[in-house]
Amino acid sequence: MTDPTPHRRRSLPARSSLPARTSLPARAAAAAALLCLAPLAGCSAVFAGTSSLTGKDSLVVGVKADQPGLGLEAAEGRFEGFDVDVALYIAGHLGIAEEDVEFTGVTSAQREDVITAGDVDMVVATYSITEQRKSVVNFAGPYYVAHQDILVGADEEDVEDVRDLEGMTLCQGEGSNSANRIIEEKGIAAELEEEPAYGDCVTRLADGSVDAVSTDDLILAGFLASDPSAFRLVNAPFTNEKYGIGIAKEDVGGCEEVNRAVTKMYQDGTAEKLLDEWFGETGLDLVTSVPQFEGCG
Amino acid sequence: MAQTHAPPADPVPRAPEPPAPRTGARRARAVLRHWLGSGTPGRIRLSALAALVAAGLLFAAATAAMSQAREGFQVIGSGAGAKVAASSDLYLALSDMDAQTANVLLVGDGDRAEEAERIYDRRRGEAGAALVQAAQLAEGSGAEERNVREVIDGLGAYERLVTEARAAGSEDGEPSDEAVGLYRDATDLMRLELLPKAYNLTLDSGATVRVTYEEKRAAVLAGAGWTAAAGLAAVAALGWHHRNLATRFRRRVNPAVAVAAAGALLLTGAAAGTLLLQAERMRAAKEDGLDSVLALSRAHAISTGMHGDQSRFLLDGGRADTYAQVYLDGARSVVFVEGEDLAAYTAQLEESVGAYPDAELLGLLGLEAAEPSQEGGRERAADVLDAYLAFQQADAELREIARDGSRSEAVEFRMGEAEEAYAAYESALADLTRMHADAYEEAVAAGDRGLRGWGWILPAAVLAVAALAVAGAYPRLAEYR
Repeated sequence: MTDPTPHRRRSLPARSSLPARTSLPARAAAAAALLCLAPLAGCSAVFAGTSSLTGKDSLVVGVKADQPGLGLEAAEGRFEGFDVDVALYIAGHLGIAEEDVEFTGVTSAQREDVITAGDVDMVVATYSITEQRKSVVNFAGPYYVAHQDILVGADEEDVEDVRDLEGMTLCQGEGSNSANRIIEEKGIAAELEEEPAYGDCVTRLADGSVDAVSTDDLILAGFLASDPSAFRLVNAPFTNEKYGIGIAKEDVGGCEEVNRAVTKMYQDGTAEKLLDEWFGETGLDLVTSVPQFEGCG
Repeated sequence: MAQTHAPPADPVPRAPEPPAPRTGARRARAVLRHWLGSGTPGRIRLSALAALVAAGLLFAAATAAMSQAREGFQVIGSGAGAKVAASSDLYLALSDMDAQTANVLLVGDGDRAEEAERIYDRRRGEAGAALVQAAQLAEGSGAEERNVREVIDGLGAYERLVTEARAAGSEDGEPSDEAVGLYRDATDLMRLELLPKAYNLTLDSGATVRVTYEEKRAAVLAGAGWTAAAGLAAVAALGWHHRNLATRFRRRVNPAVAVAAAGALLLTGAAAGTLLLQAERMRAAKEDGLDSVLALSRAHAISTGMHGDQSRFLLDGGRADTYAQVYLDGARSVVFVEGEDLAAYTAQLEESVGAYPDAELLGLLGLEAAEPSQEGGRERAADVLDAYLAFQQADAELREIARDGSRSEAVEFRMGEAEEAYAAYESALADLTRMHADAYEEAVAAGDRGLRGWGWILPAAVLAVAALAVAGAYPRLAEYR
């Protein structure tokens, strides 16, 4: 990493600098492979040590930088939110102190790339588990199953489920598919408006130029928590979004250990505490029991 | 060679001190000479000692590697297999209990309700048995034990809700709102709290197997290397020993030592070969057997949930959209093909299954079908995929009837044709799973058999080699007395 100061790096290093950075571990792995030709026990340990999360003493974690309540860069280099706290809990389980965890902002489109390139050790960034993504990265968790839901203005009393959006203006973040699910799949005649990000949709909801915003309930709850009196969460879930912890495809052992951390996080009550801390006042129905894991590998 | 031995501690300091290791080597040689004597007898004793030490190393390396192999098969075989089976039985029983509860409420009274209640009771019994077994197997692991305990507690609460929901009864052949509401609470408890824990137990046993497998297989392979190295060293030492005995005494062959060398070579080959074979059996048991059994058990678990979602879709109109979506999520994790909604998914599935094995399939069953590890696996997988497609087509028809026809027609179809399509798929899936389970059990049994006898062959053979090496030298040494 170019900048060793924890919590200080925001943008990712240019991809062109990658070959120089990866050549050393690659050489070390080649040396380890040569050693393994000799009948030595513990070759698997040599390989595991080069990349597994379980052997690390510091971590670089990719989180969202613009998602209040989940991953938000509150001040230059300082990140906060549920995802950030989950990452810190996992780091603690892996024996890594808080000051050795470095957070870096990632966008939705960057998530696979930063993992496969080795720029980050772990991505905790409202990262839904899908079969396509699973063929590129390994997913521990889910640590929470979010659902697509609807956010409306506080004085909008009539919307009780997704079918009530008929004839309303619906805002969607660019590159997202959530409004299409309502309009095309469910055949509900709502008018679609697009904004660069969901934060912009929420701003438009506040000024009344759109009627509703629909995306993952945790994301909506995060916006709601920042201004509880302005909006209302409908609580009409209609999809499952399994938020996973993305790690390198080959690190099955690390993935299994992160699953143990997530199990423990629910068993010792930390998950409930964190969910309550970040979303407790939004009226969202929170599930405080460990989700069904996806399975590593 | 008439030099006498040097005393162990030489009090006279020598001016340029030679490097430490050389002193050590020289001193060791001196000590050996002191004990073994000098000249030809000393050399014979030295080569005999070298052969004995190398034979001892061969024994140690082979014994250690074989005990690693034995432990590996114990964990991959009996231990983990039982755990995977117990936890996936638990999941299936719980999931079907919830589906049968929905069926009871859906069909109201009559034979069908009684049938569903009978299945429910049987599943309740199975869940209880699987829980007892899971509790025993989880003993010693804090998180797993707690998981099992929470499932036991939750199951009690679930049954209370189910009893209340059944008691809330029906109005005009349809379940009352109160009954549907109580069932909502029950199924939420089951699907959000109990089933995930049972599923995670299965995954956790899989993780234990993977760690043991990687460690033990690496240790066995390394052990095979060490065994070969020590064995070849023993053969070389015996060859040297033979040369000391034969050429120096102008004989062509020393029969005892020659037999010992040949025996050592044979033993080395057999032991190292057995170890390599054990490593391969371990791989077959894990990768071709247990991994597939695990993946297919998970596919089965998710499929029962989907089958239950069909009933829930009909039972609870207020949540019909959600249950249809949950069903689609399940379908995608069993066999992944493109398709944003159920209709698009089924259409794409028809195309992909038709093109199998040339279509790209993901998901638990999809990946198993894409890379069959057993002979005849492709045909079995094709059968399962066909049955899965039929299950999806029946589902599409069910949803069409529910949309356009009457509720009672839809219920009739759900309990009739949709049920049959699911049962056919379940049985094809069970056949494919059985095939991998057989491969797994065979590999584990072969692993156990392959190690049988080595417990006495190894020490006996090494002792025989040692005895021959000494016996061959004894008459020659006697000539010096």
